[in-house]
Order: sequence, then C-alpha cells, then structure tokens
Amino acid sequence: MQIKLPLNITLGIITELLYTLSIMLVAFLICLVLTF
Amino acid sequence: MIRKPNIEDIKGIGYYLGKIIIGLSLTMVIPIIIGIAFGEINPTLDFIISMGITLLFGLLLTKLCFTEKDLNWMQGMIIASLSWIAATLLGALPLYLSGHWNSFLDACFDAMSGFATTGLTLVQNLDHLSYAHNLWRHLIMFIGGQGIVIVALSFFVKGFSGAFKMYVGEARDERVLPNVIDTARFIWLVSIAYLILGTLALGMVGILNGMKTINAFFHGACVFMAAFDTGGFAPQSQNILYYHSLPYEIVTITIMLLGAINFKLHYHIWMGNRKEILKNIETITLFMSIMLTFFIVAVGLVKLGTYPQAIALFRKGFYQLVSGHTGTGYMTIYARQFINEWGDLALVGIIIAMGLGGSVCSTTGAIKMLRVGIIFKALIEDLKKIILPEQAIVAQKFHHIKDMFMEDKQARAALFITLAYLALYGFGAIVGMLFGYPFLHSLFESTSAAANVGLSCGITDTTMPAALKLTYIFQMWAGRLEFMSVFTLIGFLVAAVKGK
Repeated sequence: MQIKLPLNITLGIITELLYTLSIMLVAFLICLVLTF
Repeated sequence: MIRKPNIEDIKGIGYYLGKIIIGLSLTMVIPIIIGIAFGEINPTLDFIISMGITLLFGLLLTKLCFTEKDLNWMQGMIIASLSWIAATLLGALPLYLSGHWNSFLDACFDAMSGFATTGLTLVQNLDHLSYAHNLWRHLIMFIGGQGIVIVALSFFVKGFSGAFKMYVGEARDERVLPNVIDTARFIWLVSIAYLILGTLALGMVGILNGMKTINAFFHGACVFMAAFDTGGFAPQSQNILYYHSLPYEIVTITIMLLGAINFKLHYHIWMGNRKEILKNIETITLFMSIMLTFFIVAVGLVKLGTYPQAIALFRKGFYQLVSGHTGTGYMTIYARQFINEWGDLALVGIIIAMGLGGSVCSTTGAIKMLRVGIIFKALIEDLKKIILPEQAIVAQKFHHIKDMFMEDKQARAALFITLAYLALYGFGAIVGMLFGYPFLHSLFESTSAAANVGLSCGITDTTMPAALKLTYIFQMWAGRLEFMSVFTLIGFLVAAVKGK
C-alpha cells in the first residue's frame, strides 16, 4: 500500500464531503418546493 | 454423490475460526481500558470474564484443530459464516453479564444486530448502561462494519493462507488492493481517518450544545462508529433525537453517506482520481435513488401535513430516509411515529430505500447500488435490442473505476442476489404476519433487519415472540453475508449428514 500524499488524501476527503453536501442541498430544495 | 466432509476439512475450519476468535477476544481490551478509566469495577469484570472465555475458546480451537494446509473455497466461506455466529455468541457474553438484557437470547439479538451493523436493539434501561458496555455496543458495530475477518486479518501481520477466500465469504467481492492484507489495512486507514474527524466534529457540536467535554467526545466516538459503519446504535435510548440539534443531524447525515461509499472508490479518490465520484455508477445511482425515494417519502408526508415546514421535513423526513437508505438506522423520531404519523406512502418510500442500500464493499447491507445500476443498464440494453433493427449490435457500458462492457453474467449475478434479498424481506414479513402484525409493519421491520438498517416501527421489543427474534437474527446474519457463505454452510451441513 503506497499512500504517501497527504494532500491527495485531504483533497479526496473534501471531494467526498462535497458529494454528501450536494445530496443534502438537493434534498433541501425538494423540501422547499414541496412545502410551498 | 455428495462427498462427506473429512477430518481435514473440519480441522481447517476450526483452526482459522480459532484465530478469528482470538482476534475478537483482543478487541475486548478496549472496553476493559474504558471500564478502568471510568472506575467501573463490575463492568470491567464482565469484560475480563468474557475475554477469558473467548480467548480460551479460540486457543482450544487452534490447538485441537492445528493444520498447515491451505484453505479451499468451501472452508473459507464456512469460516466466514461461522465466525459471525461465534462472534455473536461470545460478543453477547459481556452484554448478558451486565444485567441490561432480559435473556441471553436478547443479548445475542443485540450482538448480532451490532456485528451485522443493523441497530435494532432489545436493551433495557440504556440510559444507565456503563461506559464500558456502551462502548462495546458501538465497537462491535465498528468491527462488524469493517468485517470480522478484516479485523482478524489486521492482527496477523503476515496474514495467512486462504485470507482472500474468507474475505469474499464476508460479502466483500471487491479487492481494493491486490493483496488482501493491504486491503484490510486501507479499510482501517479510511475508518481511522474519518473516526478522528468525525469524533472531533461530533464532540465539538456536543460541547456547543452544552454537553460535558468528556461526554461530548465519548458520545461523538460512539455515534461516529455506529454512523460510519451504518450501524445505528446510540448511547442514549432516544437515539439521535436525544441531541435535539440540527448541526448534530447534519454531521451524522454526512457520516452515514460517507459510510455508504465503496472502499474501492475511497481508495481511488484518495489517490487523486477525484473525478471518479462524478462518473461512478454507484455514486450516480445512490444520488438518484436517494432523491427518488425521498420524493416518495416527502410527498407522502406533505400530503398528510405531518411536517408542514421545509426544515422539519428535512430534519425528520430526509434524516430517516438517509438513515434507511444507507442502512444506518439512526432516528430523530420515536418508532411509533412511523405508524401513527407517517402514512402508508412515506412508509413504502422508506421500505424501498432500506431495501436498496448503499455501495458494495462498503459497510452497508441490502441489495446495493452497483447491482441496482447494473440491473438498470441491463434493462436499457434489452430495450435497445427490441427497439433497434435486428442487425444492430448493442453494447451497454457502465463506469465503475474503469469503463466496462455489460456482460450477461454480471446482470445474472446482480439479479440473483436481488431476488435472494427480496425473498429474505418477504420471509420475515410473513413470519411477522403469522404473529399477528399488519403487513406493512411486518415488511418494514423485516426489511430493516434483513437489510441491516435498524429503523423500527415498534415491533422490535423484548416482549416480541422468541421465534420472531430468531427470525430477525437469521435475517441480519444472512443479509450481512449476502447469502453465498450461508448457502455454503447449509450445503456443508447437508453433506455432513447425507454425504458418503
């Protein structure tokens, strides 16, 4: 196992967090649309 | 003619099962340390006794069944399935000794629920459970989420032969790295990195909510372990509702979604291939599936006027949906609210989400996104074959780490596992109905158990019939192992009785 790039790991974690954030944002938009 | 298993088959199974049990006993050191740190004498003794019994059992198996022969596929599969039964029986010991479970069966139910990362629980007076026992409940979710074999492999630095066969038997059909020991270590790396980040985030939110520092971080670590491993146990009986905090809910939603991502995908994203998250069939399918099932749930809830405000719909509707879809089982409502307030349409939406699950080679249960994506692509391919001229050559592609052409055997395997899951969901629902529970409620609880989710509409309770408890234990076990190793064990037992 060769994981020697902490920057890559940090950017990888940020990418994954953005993915989860996008799911939450779209879901919240659905909530907004349906409740109005 | 069926071949009767010989003594060498049994010795191979016993020897490596013993090694896994020794690995399991070593994990009991952690609650012992916690028990000592918090000055909990009796709980510490519970774990010392349980660790002694587990270690002795493991050592006896390795001595009595010593062998240097390589494992074959059958043995690897059987070890994987038996190791989960052994872990349940031995992991239940400290729970039962605590006096917070009414019977050993109830303790076994929670141990299987923990190891299989389900989250259904029969614990009594959880709010007064010791720190050591509470940590153990969450730790077994962490162990089960990684895979008991993965944990055992991590203790044996040089590894042992047949490791890959046991790894596959534990429903991990993808190797992240060519070497299975390196794969186990990478899974630990991801989990530990997120454990630190998640515990810090939850701890800080806890402190801001007014919790004592030590409690905030203890709860943070426990909740992280059960959320990332899509388990669903929580340190308090009110589950996540206890915290009454939007930031806490957002952090746990994030952790649950991260837990539903394939470890192989984590690896490629962490190695610099970040665009993969936008192209991968699993992340796309997960995104679409969450949105579609949430839409069903949201329409059902809005129609009934259960949550008239957008933020309430998000905090209650979307939270339970993500919890169900990722197979976690965290709740911000009471179990009976599903029945009394949600209505049939929202319940159906949650049941579909629970039945679909997260990614393969993640910590989630159920059918999983890769299979759903493959079945969908196969359907498109068949439709194209019908619509296009007969001379046209149809080749359907999908992207999972690399571009791949769809093959019939992939679609067949995905459909076989899907059908097996649907049968398992249906089986539990029928057993529930035999005991007098309504169809939709039975299906909800059965799907929750078999898909290793842990959301409950109130059926799971200490007063439910023992046969139903055993049914759910079987469902949690078979659902977590994805059938093949369970079928192999059944075949082995049939061969032992009928073979020549």
